[in-house]
Amino acid sequence: MSDYILELKGITKIFPGVKALDNVHFQLKPGEVHALMGENGAGKSTFIKVITGVHKAEEGEMFLEGKKVDFKGPRDAQAAGIAAVYQHPTSYPDLTVAENIFMGHEVIKSGMIQWREMNKRAAELLAQLDAEFKPTDEMGALSVAHQQMVEIAKALSMNAKIIILDEPTAALTKNESEKLYKIVDKLKEEGVSIIFISHRFEDMYRLADRVTVFRDSQYIGTYDVDGITNADLIKAMVGREISDLFPKPDVQIGAEVLRVEDLSRTGFYKNVSFNVHAGEIVGLTGLVGAGRTEVVESVCGITKPDSGKVYLEGKQVHIKKPVDAMRKGIILLPEDRQKEGLILSWGLGQNVTLPTMGKYAKAGFNDNKKERDIAKKLLEEVDTKAVTIFDPASSLSGGNQQKVVVAKALGQEMKVVIMDEPTKGVDVGAKAEIYQIMGDLAKQGYGIILISSEMPEILGMSDRIVVMCNGKVTGELNREEASQEGILELAMEKSK
Amino acid sequence: MKENKSILKKITGSREASLLIVLIILCIAITAKSPSFMTFKSITDMLKNNVVIMIMALGMLGVLLVGGIDISVASVLGFTGMIVGMLMKYEVVTSTPLLFVIAVAIGLVCGCVTGLVIAYGKVLPIIATMGFMYIYRGLAYVISNSEWASAENLGTFKDFALGKVLGLNNVIWVMIIIYVIFFIVMKWTKIGRKVYAVGSNREAAAISGISTKRIDVLVYTVMGTLSGLCGALAVSIYASAQPNMLYAKEMDVIAACVIGGVSMQGGRGSVVGAFLGSLILAIIAKALPLVGIESIAQNTVKGIIIMAVIILNVLAQRAMDRSNLKGREM
Amino acid sequence: MAGKSGRSISNVPEKAIRKNILSWEGMLVVVFILMVIFCRSISPNFHLENVLREMPKYLAEAFIMLPMAYVLILGEIDISVGATVCLSATMTCMACNKELPFIAVVLVCLLVGTACGLINGLVLTNFTELPPMIVTLATQIIFRGIAEISLGSGGSVSLTNTDGFRMIAGKVGIIPYIFFLVVILAVIFAVVLAKTTFGRSVYAIGSNRLAAYYAGIPVQRIRLIIYTALGFMSGLAALFLTSVLYGANTTTGNGFEMDAIAMAVFGGISTAGGKGRLAGGIISAFVIIMLRIGLGQINMNPQLILVILGALLILAVLLPNIAGELKVKKKAANTK
Repeated sequence: MSDYILELKGITKIFPGVKALDNVHFQLKPGEVHALMGENGAGKSTFIKVITGVHKAEEGEMFLEGKKVDFKGPRDAQAAGIAAVYQHPTSYPDLTVAENIFMGHEVIKSGMIQWREMNKRAAELLAQLDAEFKPTDEMGALSVAHQQMVEIAKALSMNAKIIILDEPTAALTKNESEKLYKIVDKLKEEGVSIIFISHRFEDMYRLADRVTVFRDSQYIGTYDVDGITNADLIKAMVGREISDLFPKPDVQIGAEVLRVEDLSRTGFYKNVSFNVHAGEIVGLTGLVGAGRTEVVESVCGITKPDSGKVYLEGKQVHIKKPVDAMRKGIILLPEDRQKEGLILSWGLGQNVTLPTMGKYAKAGFNDNKKERDIAKKLLEEVDTKAVTIFDPASSLSGGNQQKVVVAKALGQEMKVVIMDEPTKGVDVGAKAEIYQIMGDLAKQGYGIILISSEMPEILGMSDRIVVMCNGKVTGELNREEASQEGILELAMEKSK
Repeated sequence: MKENKSILKKITGSREASLLIVLIILCIAITAKSPSFMTFKSITDMLKNNVVIMIMALGMLGVLLVGGIDISVASVLGFTGMIVGMLMKYEVVTSTPLLFVIAVAIGLVCGCVTGLVIAYGKVLPIIATMGFMYIYRGLAYVISNSEWASAENLGTFKDFALGKVLGLNNVIWVMIIIYVIFFIVMKWTKIGRKVYAVGSNREAAAISGISTKRIDVLVYTVMGTLSGLCGALAVSIYASAQPNMLYAKEMDVIAACVIGGVSMQGGRGSVVGAFLGSLILAIIAKALPLVGIESIAQNTVKGIIIMAVIILNVLAQRAMDRSNLKGREM
Repeated sequence: MAGKSGRSISNVPEKAIRKNILSWEGMLVVVFILMVIFCRSISPNFHLENVLREMPKYLAEAFIMLPMAYVLILGEIDISVGATVCLSATMTCMACNKELPFIAVVLVCLLVGTACGLINGLVLTNFTELPPMIVTLATQIIFRGIAEISLGSGGSVSLTNTDGFRMIAGKVGIIPYIFFLVVILAVIFAVVLAKTTFGRSVYAIGSNRLAAYYAGIPVQRIRLIIYTALGFMSGLAALFLTSVLYGANTTTGNGFEMDAIAMAVFGGISTAGGKGRLAGGIISAFVIIMLRIGLGQINMNPQLILVILGALLILAVLLPNIAGELKVKKKAANTK
């Protein structure tokens, strides 16, 4: 019998063009809670999918309780007692909670699903987790936290020996997170081994026995949580001291360019006010779900606010569509590059000139020559790693894709550039380059709003930090007075 | 008090219940205008005339549940019906059970081909079934060689739709049996729930090990099989086989499902809903002349009803989202 | 701040003459020639004069294919065009029989078509949650239903005065007017699609609707314009169809939606959106027209022709998909 309930050796996973995992190791002791940490894009999620049989590794071996296993699909992993609770619950919104729990292993007697028995067992599982909803409720009507509990109940219903939690607290409030911690404690007592991925140090200290760090698709190390410091971990995750990473230039801050006053949208955010000056980088932060993205989407005309005013250079503006925002000089570089920022099948050049093609066109006809010249200039300006402007956007790495998105903003006379999580899923090298570009933009007199959940980035780049929580602005900090702890305090729900 | 409230909510909140209320109101209104409507004969006549749509609505339920669509169903019906008619006319096969088996088998093959093209050939359902709609209808004309099979050609076969068991017409029994089977399969068996799972979240279904492609092929095959069966039934009921049988009636089948609350995006809908939807459609068709709308306007009315229902669904969803947001704590 | 690494990115487009010959359009030209040879071999009457004489009836569908290509590139579909043609043709005949001046008759035809397209467009842009397939399915029933009501129990109408329609069915030499109109409109539609910001926006919406929206492209306005244009062109098709048939009935325009979609798809326009050029659609429209004329001349059952077209439509989507699948599999095998 091996010391480890689960052991992976030398795992390599290749996607077309990228090595998502490069010779990675991992060991899980029975009954331990093991945190898996690393920056976005470090390969954690891919690794989880290899364990659960969703992806098949090109190289490497996996041992379960000392025996070599080879999962052909998710079914095999489930049968072997491994269950995963993904970041976005992979549930069936139209079906009931009980059905979601028992999907794939329904309670069946002579070919018929035993609804009553199934609902009874589901109720028992939910009672174990102190859930306040019923097995007959419709899944789609539940909150994310509750949906996650259903997923955990599902794992329990399969008598899982190993439960994997992929960023379980990302979308939860503080109270909900507390509840999740208690559930994890309980599972641990019952002898279940748990792997969890999280970006929150708080989660790790509270729950984990050991932590394994990945960086840039590689294994960095495994450490005991007792005795490790934030700084050690950050160094392991980022690979260098934070201070070198943020080349924040000193810029003379100019006049106010954008002011948002009492902006509200029912269910998303309420009475939000802040402003940005020329040459200033304003960090907008808060936990996921605090309403940051929703606010800037309304500023840019993507969604309609219920009330409030937006001023551009002192004059009130009415922005109803993204095109209005762009004409007036506000551009949003959206968070999801692949879904909202780029047309992946298109060449880089046409991607860059998409928002501005109308400007170069003559009588509605595209000026392809001019567009090519401009695209070349802008793509070189942001130092994109590409051979020609005709390379499809899908062929670039995450960091270079982000640079193309930034180049879109450079192609026009902008006053305000809003960057939503610009370094999400970007490797460290490209991150530094994006920060460099951000600094250059500020120097040129753009007002910049930086939305980010990554604390070092916010602290490193912002002149001023606006913190949101639960749809409201909870505080504003200067660069000098801001600290990680100070921001977290404002970002977390005030416990009553 | 709380108990009462939840029951009330259950009734108004459930799609099937509100359909039932609509149905009852319709029946009362029609009976007031024409008292003969609520007689046993009138109702069984109406059911007999709509058996084909009602049965095919079940197949369409499965197709719509997985997020697909099939507009070739009336053509498959015409094709199989014409084969049955020709086999009878030229006395190749005269045994009624055998003719039914042949019709069902041909329908099964037609549906299976459609399903394979959609699931494994990755052709959009609307494009694939549009192609097959013309192919099967064209084949119906080709095999008929522009002939009809009329009542005298159909001999004993047409007797099936005249026969009764326990005072109820055979074809109504067929419909009831199929509905009972579907009700059981969709609610209480694994395969039925898999159809819902695929429609509700295809990706999750694939991750949890359901072969989504096989489910796709299955629903189109079932659809084809039922269309084949209905081909034979229609020949027997109408005592004739023509290549343009039930031309464009796929719209009625889809309309029945849409009215019955089956979602066009997949994942939502029930056997009871399909039943009530097709029943409401049948009653409306019957009621139109009573309120002074000529039967020639039937199609327009159907189209407007479909449009109204899908737009109302959207508005209801929007209102629900809005009230959910209002309830969110800030 | 330019290129710290000094990296240069080329912006010189590749000049590929060989690529053009091997392209889908090049292949379609070959298919067109083969089709002409095939038709000549099966039908002794298949020569230029006859072909041009019989062409107007089928050319009407090419009108619809042009905007339909835009709809498909948007990643959408409109199956109500056949019904729009039916309703426009019906209204046109009725207006003509009311002894309205011919110019008014033409206006009625185009207005009815445009109105149908506008209705589709308005519903789709105001209720963006609804799939175009189901909306146009419903309007299809409604449009044809209104035609049925107008036609009454007889189900058909004939022109009592064909003077005006004879005029538009005229010819220059042996070439009918409609041929010129199709060519002119085809060039306009193709140029707008390939060269203008409007055309590029259509591709952007079809490739990634959200990204296009975030980039400031007026997605809903463009959709509304395209659906309305599709209605207008269906009206135009109805006008020329009436000039051939001198009447309308409840089945007028049947199958036009499939023909238009088949022409576009066969021309290399993807039903998944974002891909394809109109040149391909135009060539394949003529391939299909030749096939119809050739098979019509040997008196093939028109229903059998529909069977062939249905099969062509499915194969045109199916075969590239299968070929693509095999390529991916081969690639996967190679990387291993």
